[in-house]
Amino acid sequence: MILLVVWSVTPFVWTAQTSIKFTRDVASKTPVLWGYETTANAYRNFWLDSDDVNMWGVLAFVLVIAAIAAALGLIGRRARHGWPWFLGATAVICVALWRFPRFWEANDEYDFLVNSVVVTLLTMLISLSIGLLAGYGLARYTGISGAVILIVALGFRALPRTAFVLPYFFGAKEIDEWLTSTGVGSWNFPLIDFPGIDTLQVLDTRLAIVLALVAVNQPFTIWMLRSFFIEVPKEMEEAAMMDGATRLQAFRKVIIPIMWPAIIATGLFTMLLAYNEYLFVRVLAPTEWTLPVAIVSLTGGESSRTITEAAAASVSITLPIVIVIILFQKHLVRGLGAGAVKG
Amino acid sequence: MSTVTLKNLVKDYPNGFRAITDLSLHLDDGEFLVLVGPSGCGKSTALRMIAGLEDITSGDIYVGDRRLNDVAPKDRDMAMVFQNYALYPQMTVAENIAFPLKLRRVPRAEREAQVRQAAEILELTEQLEKKPAHLSGGQRQRVAMGRAIVRHPALFLMDEPLSNLDAKLRVQMRADIAGIQRELGVTTFYVTHDQVEAMTMGDRVAVIKDGILQQVDTPEGIYGSPDNVFVAAFIGSPSMNLYEATLERHEEAGGDRYSVVLGDQRLAVPPEVFAERPALAEHLNRPVVVGIRPEHLEDAAVVADHPDDQRLDATVDVREALGAETLVHFNLSAPSVDSGDPDALDELRDSGRCTARFSASSTARVGDRARVNVDARHLHFFDRQTHLAIRS
Repeated sequence: MILLVVWSVTPFVWTAQTSIKFTRDVASKTPVLWGYETTANAYRNFWLDSDDVNMWGVLAFVLVIAAIAAALGLIGRRARHGWPWFLGATAVICVALWRFPRFWEANDEYDFLVNSVVVTLLTMLISLSIGLLAGYGLARYTGISGAVILIVALGFRALPRTAFVLPYFFGAKEIDEWLTSTGVGSWNFPLIDFPGIDTLQVLDTRLAIVLALVAVNQPFTIWMLRSFFIEVPKEMEEAAMMDGATRLQAFRKVIIPIMWPAIIATGLFTMLLAYNEYLFVRVLAPTEWTLPVAIVSLTGGESSRTITEAAAASVSITLPIVIVIILFQKHLVRGLGAGAVKG
Repeated sequence: MSTVTLKNLVKDYPNGFRAITDLSLHLDDGEFLVLVGPSGCGKSTALRMIAGLEDITSGDIYVGDRRLNDVAPKDRDMAMVFQNYALYPQMTVAENIAFPLKLRRVPRAEREAQVRQAAEILELTEQLEKKPAHLSGGQRQRVAMGRAIVRHPALFLMDEPLSNLDAKLRVQMRADIAGIQRELGVTTFYVTHDQVEAMTMGDRVAVIKDGILQQVDTPEGIYGSPDNVFVAAFIGSPSMNLYEATLERHEEAGGDRYSVVLGDQRLAVPPEVFAERPALAEHLNRPVVVGIRPEHLEDAAVVADHPDDQRLDATVDVREALGAETLVHFNLSAPSVDSGDPDALDELRDSGRCTARFSASSTARVGDRARVNVDARHLHFFDRQTHLAIRS
């Protein structure tokens, strides 16, 4: 057990160490394991790009904002009517982001961050919605076609990703060509005005990444959610229907609340998958990078300066995931432990 | 208000299995009908068809004059108590009970009043803010009841609601449920495999086996005059002793005398038994099935005043002292009859096995050769081929 922990933690510790060292220590022939001078230069370089910004000030600002938002959120959870507090928390975050516009403009990394967040959230949302409905249906329907769907889904999941990525790429390219040749891509839709988009395209957009990721992850969400749905006794929705609920109401008001831990667990897995995705992003979106691709681009060069920067970036993109997992770990454990939903 | 009529209900499963065959039943308004049968006899299927949770292959279901075949479960105005209670784990007790009212958009104040009222009936007032996971089995059962009674439905459906409780609690809840039902006067359809529940709770009892209705009658009627061998063996605990035997008539000067030949023993039957059942005459000198309830057997050492020709001799195999009475098992060398109850233990089908309910003062010991008084007026006779009662 201890061996396992050491085995998996060491690389991360190494990375974290690298991220706070000076370049000369990283580049030295004999690894400097302790006693080195620490610096936040790498973080500063990656996130702020210019040395004249007071980094600790920025960090403090972010922390204060996060604390205020968290406090408001906590009050909202305790309060009888939570929504004004949640609204307040959202407002604080919005104002904070609005008051700090220069970072957004100054640095590419924020575009990648936004891409990462958008791709991850959209993938989670679409994946979970489809997974919930399909998983529920397949858990309750025991006919032969249900089994066929499940086996086929598993088969697709078993195929290597590299087998999918090129077809997606060419498919997207075909669509783009069609959009350009027919002129559909440059239509002006009367009611919808996409800000900053002149022509519609699929390739090199977040949409392409999301669609591809959803397609690839769907078998996993369906299988996982289905196995949780099977744990929910059929009597639950029958009781709800006898109590006067429609099938949809029974699903929404009884089954979904029971399923929360499972949804959170599945959502986290999907999130990790989308957040860490490299291959699909690299191929389908040559310029719309997400963070992992950005990091890899840093390690590409031979300069050891960028190695500390890449390490700093790795550590920074890991932190949000760690925070999310800590926040939801109670649910995660409940969701993964089978039988938690027995009535 | 709400009578329930089932007309020729049939349920076929997609795999061709026929779960219910031609089930017709009628429940009067406010009646408590218990459908009882061994496991896998289709009783739950029948209940679920009434609830609308199971499709009907053919036949009709009426509540009052309204045909319900194609009505969705939520519109049938029935409340159901499930075997595993099916409480919503994420809701408190109060929310669980209020859920049906909430779906009907009952205003909050009225809802809370009704929940409180139901909680008082069920003695759940202390538990209202708890989650089901923190309740005992009996309390969960009460919450399930609360969810059913809070909306004053036309019909209660109960699917073995007591089978997950321990024995003591079951006895108490049995009385409680029957009491609540009487108080509310709601027509109730109750399914169980436990014949004690059926006998104690039901206004009428319907016995079902392999999807076929066997007999519907009051508890006394079912117990006192079972229609066939299955009902006779299924209702009553310990169950009725059933043997293959031959009826004989001896013509004598003072009038004919009748007897039953049980293996190598002969039991005299009072003439009035034959007078009440003229059809028995057709079975003379032919094998029939004879049934004796355990309580109609008594230790001759305790009750000496008994006609000598209405006695059997047997060796005691097992003795179970229950305090108020003593159950004695012995072996009659007569072939037993299989009643067809799939739940019965195989050892009970052992040939000749007989159970008697002796008074506690009986001193019969294991290995003793006991004399057993048979109350021959209470013998039951069945046709050996059809297993139907010979009564008329």
